[in-house]
Amino acid sequence: MRLMKTSESYIFPYVDIVPQLIANSVIAGAIYALIALGFNLIYGTTKFFNLAHGAVAACGAYTVFAILKIFALPVNVVVTCVIGAVVAGSIGYGLDKFVYLPLRKRKASNMVLMVASLGAFTAIQAVIAILFTSQFQALESSGGVSGSVEVYGAIITHTQVVIIACGLAIMAVLGLVAKYTLFGKAVSAIKDDEEVARMVGIDTNKIIGRVFFIGSAIAGVAGILIGFDTGIEPTMGMNLLLKGTIASIIGGVGSLYGGFLGAFVLGFAENFGIWKISGEWKDAIAFVVLIIFLLIRPEGIVKK
Amino acid sequence: MEYLIHLAVMSSIYAILGMSLNLVVGYAGLLSVTHAAFYGVGAYAVGILTVSRGYGFFEATAIGMVCAAAAAWFIGIVSGKFKGDYYALVSFGFNIIVFSIFLNVQSVTRGPLGIPGIPKPELFGTAIRTNAQFLILSIVFALLTYAISQWIVKSSFGRALKGIREDEDALRVFGYDTARYKRIIFMIAAMLAAVAGSLFASYISYIDPSTFSLNESIFILSLVILGGLANVNGSVFGAIVFILLPEILRFVGFPPDIAAQMRQVAYGAILVLLMLYRPQGMFGEYKL
Repeated sequence: MRLMKTSESYIFPYVDIVPQLIANSVIAGAIYALIALGFNLIYGTTKFFNLAHGAVAACGAYTVFAILKIFALPVNVVVTCVIGAVVAGSIGYGLDKFVYLPLRKRKASNMVLMVASLGAFTAIQAVIAILFTSQFQALESSGGVSGSVEVYGAIITHTQVVIIACGLAIMAVLGLVAKYTLFGKAVSAIKDDEEVARMVGIDTNKIIGRVFFIGSAIAGVAGILIGFDTGIEPTMGMNLLLKGTIASIIGGVGSLYGGFLGAFVLGFAENFGIWKISGEWKDAIAFVVLIIFLLIRPEGIVKK
Repeated sequence: MEYLIHLAVMSSIYAILGMSLNLVVGYAGLLSVTHAAFYGVGAYAVGILTVSRGYGFFEATAIGMVCAAAAAWFIGIVSGKFKGDYYALVSFGFNIIVFSIFLNVQSVTRGPLGIPGIPKPELFGTAIRTNAQFLILSIVFALLTYAISQWIVKSSFGRALKGIREDEDALRVFGYDTARYKRIIFMIAAMLAAVAGSLFASYISYIDPSTFSLNESIFILSLVILGGLANVNGSVFGAIVFILLPEILRFVGFPPDIAAQMRQVAYGAILVLLMLYRPQGMFGEYKL
């Protein structure tokens, strides 16, 4: 499994390492937050671990890759990213419509749903590899976002600035939607109790379908941003999925702000964890953090 | 012929993995996705001990089994605190941690370079040289695993496991130490997986960490689910189908690279379809 290459400190050895570590932690945290936000949104309403979430993120990135690199269409980068997010969202919606919804109607256990999503994950990942080869490929932008800024001695590329901004913006928008719109209220009603929500007249399956679209589109955005930052490969989804899942569990699974917080805790733990040891240990550190959290505080940072 | 023997050897190795994982997933009802880690422990034990320490295959296998059991004991203690999907997630984590150890403790495992030149086993002073001879060895081990699994399943221990799967609280009320039962079956399954690993290492004669990744665990879990949960014969069936499937795809005319990916598409799709239409698998006696 390839690891996310966020440690610029190897390239710039003269930079004092602590500010750079903090910057890397924040960048990683923002990416994990995007994955965790979508993941949590879906978990909140359906109560199962949607493992296909990572593959959906990869679909977003590969859509952008197809438009910009393979067909080289003269489309604006931002428009392309929106298309990528919509494609990812549609795939998530399709998965719900054709796999999860029939299972839910049959009252399948969440283990069954989880295994089904694992199957979907494996299949989607392999289809991507067939269509675009399994090589690692670059997705750098064809204009606009390049160069870097220096903040207290830490070097952050413009792409990474966009990552952090997207993380914060999407979090804020979701928070507002959850609080002030009818849709947000319906979602929180389903979160509390799907049966009761249906009784008071909410079309729960329709709402859950939309939640899948939104959550998957956010995952798509995360995949695209990672693509611009480091590059894409079909297996990128696995790493994203695992980190997003860990982030949402240590933050408090199903909770919007919890996932966000957990993502940054994980980002810091990983990047400071590899201060003295090889970066290859990042994945193991992430899971050690998860297991420690599950043993000590299984309900996550934000208690429900 | 050589090609058919190769497929038969691989089928019997995966049959061992499938049967042993079925003990945990099917009979004890624990959705474990760590099996490739124990498979790897067995393979690395043979790789390291026979190549650089001069141990024989069977001694190395025994040591590998002990190591796998020790790892399973520790993992069992931690993951025993979780249930259902959280258990699955924690087991994911342990697979990744063990994989990281294979990859990163380079002084012992040589990391991504892998260990080449693993010798074939020697039995009563004569080396097993041809693949046909190796097939006999692997089938003997598969039959042993089959016998052990059937014996466990039919014993009172196996019945208690099924009870735990159906209603753990009830068994605890009757005075069963359910945590201990789950830990023991997990350790037995890990030891059997280590045997499969040592066969694999010695047969292919080269190992590297990529064989023991999370994807491999998912693959083993898929073949167990396909064959059927809580059915030992089913796991053998699942192993054979999943080993033959990519070969059929190759005969149809896909290039090997695409065929490998097609295999993934096929088993991903099989998982989804099974969950939709037959969640207990082909011959399963228990639904997730």
